[in-house]
Amino acid sequence: MTMGKFLIRRLLQGIFVIWGVITIMFGLRAVSPGDPATLMLGEGATQELIEHVREQEGLNEPIYVQYFDYLQGMVVGDFGYSWISNREVEAMVIERIPATVELAVAATVVAIVIAIPLGVISATRRNESADYGATLFSLLGISTPNFWLGLMLILILGVWAGIFPTGRRPVGFAEAVMTLVQHGSLYDLGIWLQYITLPALTLGTYFTALITRLTRSGMVDELGKPYVTASRAKGLPSVLVRYKHVLRNTMIPIITVLGLQMGTLLGGAVITETVFNWPGLGLRLIDALNARDWPLMQGIVVFIAIAFVSINIIVDSLYTYLNPQVREE
Amino acid sequence: MISDRVKSNLKQTFSESLLPKLGLLLLVSIVFMAIFAPVLATHDPTRTGHYSDQGTAYPPLGQDLTTQIAQDGDIVEVTVEPTSEHILGTNNVGQDVYSRFLYGARVSLIVGLLGTSMALAIGVPFGLVAGYYGGRVDDAMMRIADIMLAFPALVLALALIGVFGQTPIQVPDPIVLAGLADGMPESIPIPGMVTLVVALVTWVWFARVARGEALSIRNEEYVKAAKSFGTSDRTILLKHVLPNSLTPIIVLATIQVAVIILLEASLAYLGFSGTTLSWGYEIERGQDYLRTRPWISMLPGIGIVLAVISVNLLGDWFRDALDPNIEGEGR
Amino acid sequence: MTEDILRVHDLSTRYFTQDGQVNAVSNLDLRIERGEVFGIVGESGSGKSVTARSIMDLIEPPGEITGGEIKYRNGEFAETVADEHPNAVNGEFVNLLELPPNVRQSLRGTSFSMIFQDPESSFNPTLTVGEQLAEAVEVQRRASARPRSTRARTQSEEYSLGNFLLSTVLPSQKYITEESRERAIELLELVGIPDPVERADEYPHEYSGGMLQRAMIAQALAGEPDVLVADEPTTALDVTIQAQVLDLLDELQEETGMTILLITHNLGVIARMCDRVGVMYAGEIVERGSLEDVFDEQVHPYTQGLLGSVPDLEGATRRLQPIPGNVPSLLDHEMDDRCYFADRCPKAMEDCLEHPPEFEVPGSDDHEVRCVLAEMEYAESRAVPDDHFSETSRTAADKHADPDRTEDDVQPQRAEQPVDDSGGDRL
Repeated sequence: MTMGKFLIRRLLQGIFVIWGVITIMFGLRAVSPGDPATLMLGEGATQELIEHVREQEGLNEPIYVQYFDYLQGMVVGDFGYSWISNREVEAMVIERIPATVELAVAATVVAIVIAIPLGVISATRRNESADYGATLFSLLGISTPNFWLGLMLILILGVWAGIFPTGRRPVGFAEAVMTLVQHGSLYDLGIWLQYITLPALTLGTYFTALITRLTRSGMVDELGKPYVTASRAKGLPSVLVRYKHVLRNTMIPIITVLGLQMGTLLGGAVITETVFNWPGLGLRLIDALNARDWPLMQGIVVFIAIAFVSINIIVDSLYTYLNPQVREE
Repeated sequence: MISDRVKSNLKQTFSESLLPKLGLLLLVSIVFMAIFAPVLATHDPTRTGHYSDQGTAYPPLGQDLTTQIAQDGDIVEVTVEPTSEHILGTNNVGQDVYSRFLYGARVSLIVGLLGTSMALAIGVPFGLVAGYYGGRVDDAMMRIADIMLAFPALVLALALIGVFGQTPIQVPDPIVLAGLADGMPESIPIPGMVTLVVALVTWVWFARVARGEALSIRNEEYVKAAKSFGTSDRTILLKHVLPNSLTPIIVLATIQVAVIILLEASLAYLGFSGTTLSWGYEIERGQDYLRTRPWISMLPGIGIVLAVISVNLLGDWFRDALDPNIEGEGR
Repeated sequence: MTEDILRVHDLSTRYFTQDGQVNAVSNLDLRIERGEVFGIVGESGSGKSVTARSIMDLIEPPGEITGGEIKYRNGEFAETVADEHPNAVNGEFVNLLELPPNVRQSLRGTSFSMIFQDPESSFNPTLTVGEQLAEAVEVQRRASARPRSTRARTQSEEYSLGNFLLSTVLPSQKYITEESRERAIELLELVGIPDPVERADEYPHEYSGGMLQRAMIAQALAGEPDVLVADEPTTALDVTIQAQVLDLLDELQEETGMTILLITHNLGVIARMCDRVGVMYAGEIVERGSLEDVFDEQVHPYTQGLLGSVPDLEGATRRLQPIPGNVPSLLDHEMDDRCYFADRCPKAMEDCLEHPPEFEVPGSDDHEVRCVLAEMEYAESRAVPDDHFSETSRTAADKHADPDRTEDDVQPQRAEQPVDDSGGDRL
């Protein structure tokens, strides 16, 4: 199968999955108890007003009409209006995307930068103290709830040591870059970095631990393969044996696992944002849930699903590209 | 099937390494703590009132060392630091931190075990059927699984609880009923909806693993032979496919218990649990007092970490001994 | 010209496993002449692969070379290392075991190279064959560009992690140069691969087994080595392909005059290729000499047994005669001080209850055997009773008892290395 065909098939699958997500979300809303119009207007609204809103919002239509209206809206990017703030859901989602993306990317960077060297050291110095240390770290990392870790980091590094600020961040990445461009000042970027460090560590720890484990066990398997001995026999520098051959082959299957784990990353972002009062999508999702603001909640969930599916399409393409055996099939 | 070979592998791995022993010891301690929480506890963990049995006040936290509280028109002095009566002090509504820590183990373990069992019950048959029949059946079922995977577990769980409410279930406490502990609540709330929801968001991992196993087992000679005798699919699935795919499922189930404990803690932390007797909820309660009384949040967190570590250590033990090749699934 | 290129003396390689110490190779003596094909033959688990890997310095933990000498004759190399490692050098010979690992590493590919039995798993599946060959060429190119001094050799790791990281962004930092790629294509052509230019860009899984083994031979030749170690080079191949690969090795050896150490369990291959032969059993060479010595004048009952178990190539009518008994345990605590073959030997005598030294066989100047029969005739009266070893020998007829089964044993080194792979997750 060629790369083009593969991509098209994968895209179609992705669209199907997103349709499924939208449908499930609609279904949940349809069966959820409570009348939307009442929720929208709050307690104490007159019956007349509620009826008016029901009519206006199409809530009196048969369910399938509502469904198709809803689906139609989704297709053209109309996610509806928030019941609480009455703003467009798209706008409410989009304005929160940068913060979450910054956090997720920072956490991924933290994870990769720490985990891969740690996994490599662990695998190549098996049963030495460095390996035991890495094993213990990764065991702790996958066993610690990240919201608690976040609180402890705030307590230890923020409150006690006073190294990092603990409040809500005053400046986003885009603004910090603007400061740099307009004033040539790195000050805002420094502030941004200070504020993102603890959340990124919090969100990244689980992944660091997971990737360390995967890298270690994958690399141990890979190091036992005959081609490694053969590479050493031909006199190849050990750096190349270890990184160009073994690590590369170790990472290929790990990439797919990481794609699937992006769901956990996005879920983890929700809770990390709550702990750090981080102005991202996750925090808005929690707000929407607490307020029973259905359109906003749906918009965020669907957006997260789209992000997840897109990431996985990219990851699968990367896997196919990196693995010649799959590429040819 | 659990063969002798598997058993001897388990034994060997167990005897060679310290970690499985540590895991088992930890888990046994936590299970003990959970079962006998009413006996070990010093106070009713749910009592929020400002009065103790002696008529003196339970101190709500967040006030100064000694403070005065108006209670029914009277002014009483209360203490909030750990005292001989409250060895770890109380939380912001005057509940005993130590007793709540003990009870928190119950919710974590029950949700972890029940949730995993339910996820098994949904995911394994689903995956076995998909893998065994293959073809279009498999395609259709796996697309459903894909949709489930597209929801981050926590996000879907939040959405489901948002829709269906939290619905705690009151379960009578056998230890108290047996008369072993006086003054403890006679029933404890189990977050029923949370248990169901964690199963609904994690079953898909079991489906994936079971499907993979069934796909390979259906091509085995003994399955073909059974088919040629006219054995029904149901019998083949139950007698051949299921027993032979158990090993990776067991390993995954162990890992899932850990994952679900973490998920429950997260939901409780966000206030979507349905019970307040949960470690996650307690962490959230202590959050506002982090600067002054950090142990209120610290202690339940340590409880979660130890519980999850113990289960993960067992999972690693099974994985090392059984080598199921499911690295990275289901976390 | 029959000077020795390699002298192995008293080599012992041990594996330290959870079950105990495994004596994979014990006190092994070996002499290989320049330009010859020396064969080592034995059942799987006899230590022949470990011997090859010891010479290549490819023994990895829990394995360890615990004693002996591996002396390699190369005047130029001896001069190079004489200053820094005087006790390793003796005339033109350098004792490789006295050298630090990085100097030994610098010999791989350029002085010694190796081909492995399973070509499919001996190539990295995710890189093209051409790329992997070019790496081997580059090793040689960089080695010859290096100034001839020990310091340069010990700093031979000139390609560092920094270089590698930079190479992902800077093409100039890449390990492989264009010349190496071109040379790789020439090598593919040399070993008879059609369309080498296209083939170089293909991945290992696109090659057939025989083609891949040719490619591996090309890779081993890239460094123009003095000694080529061929570890079961034809075992994984079809019979017809086997002959082609052996022909190729033959041709290349004639052209380049390199020395080949051929490891195999297949006496047919030995007979076809080798000038001199060593027969291995339980980590020792039990009989060695010229091809004629070993095939026609053999003394050791094990050699006789092996020859008896070869299917005759001409007349396939002869019945196989497997050697009865089990492959010996190489665990140190299970090895008694006796001839290790005695429990399977049809001619075991009381004299065999003591470990035999190497005897020179009269009538040939280069024929040695580790068996008392070199010095005395078999006497029924001194025979060891049949049940003498019954307590120690395991009851189940081990599958390895049938030497012919070794054909299926694709990875004999696995059997010799009960390596504990799961050990890392412990504290």
